Amino acid sequence: MIQFSDVSKFYDNEAALSDITLTIEKGEHIYITGPSGAGKTTLLKLIYAAERPDKGTVSVAGQDTGKLKQGAVPFLRRTIGVVFQDFRLLPNVTVFDNIALALRIHGIDSKEIKENVNDVLASIGMKHKAHEFPRHLSGGEQQMAAIARAIVSKPNVLLADEPTGNLDPGTADTIIKLFREINLRGTTLIIATHHDALFKNTGHRVIYLKEGKIEKETKD
Amino acid sequence: MNTLTYLFQTAVKNFWSEKRINLLTVLTIAVGLLIISAFALITLNIDLTLKNWSGGFGLVVYLKDNISAEEEGLIKNHFKKDTDITSVNYITKEQALKELRQTLGSATHLLEGFESNPLPASFELKLKRESLTPAGIKEKAERLKQFQGVEDVQYGEKWLASMDSLSKGLKVLTVSLGSIILIALAFVTYSTIKILFYRRADEIDTMKLLGASRSFIRLPFLMEGLFIGLSSGIIALSALFGIYAVTTAKTAELIPSIKSFAVFFPPAAYPVLPLGGALMSLIGSLFAIGRIKY
Ligand SMILES: Nc1ncnc2c1ncn2[C@@H]1O[C@H](COP(=O)(O)OP(=O)(O)OP(=O)(O)O)[C@@H](O)[C@H]1O
Ligand SMILES: [Mg+2]
Repeated sequence: MIQFSDVSKFYDNEAALSDITLTIEKGEHIYITGPSGAGKTTLLKLIYAAERPDKGTVSVAGQDTGKLKQGAVPFLRRTIGVVFQDFRLLPNVTVFDNIALALRIHGIDSKEIKENVNDVLASIGMKHKAHEFPRHLSGGEQQMAAIARAIVSKPNVLLADEPTGNLDPGTADTIIKLFREINLRGTTLIIATHHDALFKNTGHRVIYLKEGKIEKETKD
Repeated sequence: MNTLTYLFQTAVKNFWSEKRINLLTVLTIAVGLLIISAFALITLNIDLTLKNWSGGFGLVVYLKDNISAEEEGLIKNHFKKDTDITSVNYITKEQALKELRQTLGSATHLLEGFESNPLPASFELKLKRESLTPAGIKEKAERLKQFQGVEDVQYGEKWLASMDSLSKGLKVLTVSLGSIILIALAFVTYSTIKILFYRRADEIDTMKLLGASRSFIRLPFLMEGLFIGLSSGIIALSALFGIYAVTTAKTAELIPSIKSFAVFFPPAAYPVLPLGGALMSLIGSLFAIGRIKY
């Protein structure tokens, strides 16, 4: 499904990732962890082709992202839901419209959009915030909206970059449960976090990154 | 609601949320379009007026006093063969004198010193409007001067030539000024859309990351450019009509006859301004957005 072969990524001659080789199977539930600056976000960006490898190849659903034509990039991205570390909510539209955007990009019609967005808002307990603008939400609520946008289109792959960073333990728990359900329905789930409570004693595969290299891999 | 409707709504919303810069752009473009169209309207009016006036022009062929009947016959024959001549009016020496007396009115005593009638007999010729070019008339006049018995041929030579060059000059000015302004207008939209595009750079990046296609990103900006151009054109057209109405009304107080010959563009030409504005703005917007890279 997702394959990194000897991948390096440099920023200003500094390696953010070096010589990463990693295979993630379809339907897996995997964690990427490591200290700040270890390269977690960079690794996720390589998957949704926001960055291209400087060395080696990244292949997603059989496509080499380094060789992907410009016009093909949007199609790849539509199969991947991303919870961005910095949320990336559009500031001048409501929570509802932010979430709906993911579906509008797919060309889905309004009626279906409305149903899907309301369903997803209900599942994360955010229905009452549907018509608020992001700046009127707490950090945690913004994060929830970002999560809702990533999952509303039922993507094949869900990438979550520090998805519980702004959430209280109770809400974090709810989100992880929701992710698990989504994963059980067949979505490949990749979570980047330095919050080890999320994966401790879960039996999931965990990749430890340090200074851009895979330090170890465990099944906790 | 399909995607296109959504993008249209987005464009309207964006247009409104940046109303200050958009309004400024619309007004700038409207002024530009107003200048072009005012020039075109003035040119059109001058041109029509010149055409009307020159309809009264003709040639006057003055005859020598000692012209023979044979010579006169040859001249008349020539008139008959020339299809450009629409009417021939023979003015005898006596008629000419009578007309002069009438014109002089109370100053008739000026003529008292003459023993005999000093005025020549003449033919007044009217020509077809199409053949009223300065070069054409000149050629005819020269030909007539060759005839025996012709004293002189007069025509509104200077008038015609200056009217002709005035009309040509105005047309050239309108077209060249118009093209320069149109290009400038495309640049105005270019810079506005460029600014708006940069202001939303973050949003655009997000949309790209969510998998938005190029047209999904581009279309709202193009529509915004289109609104700018269209509304500018409508404003310019209304302003032009207003100015025309006020100007003709004011001028009519001084020159009442202005109402009978001043014209506005025909209704069929009304869409030209909004559509022209829209086209130039669209071109400006297209260049402003440029290539979207993933
Ligand atoms: N756009 C960029 N330009 C320059 N350097 C960058 C860029 N993005 C990342 N880096 C560098 O690459 C390294 C890895 O960054 P990355 O964001 O992947 O870390 P991370 O593991 O996600 O950290 P965190 O836990 O703080 O989110 C860092 O040293 C960072 O400074
Ligand atoms: Mg990160």
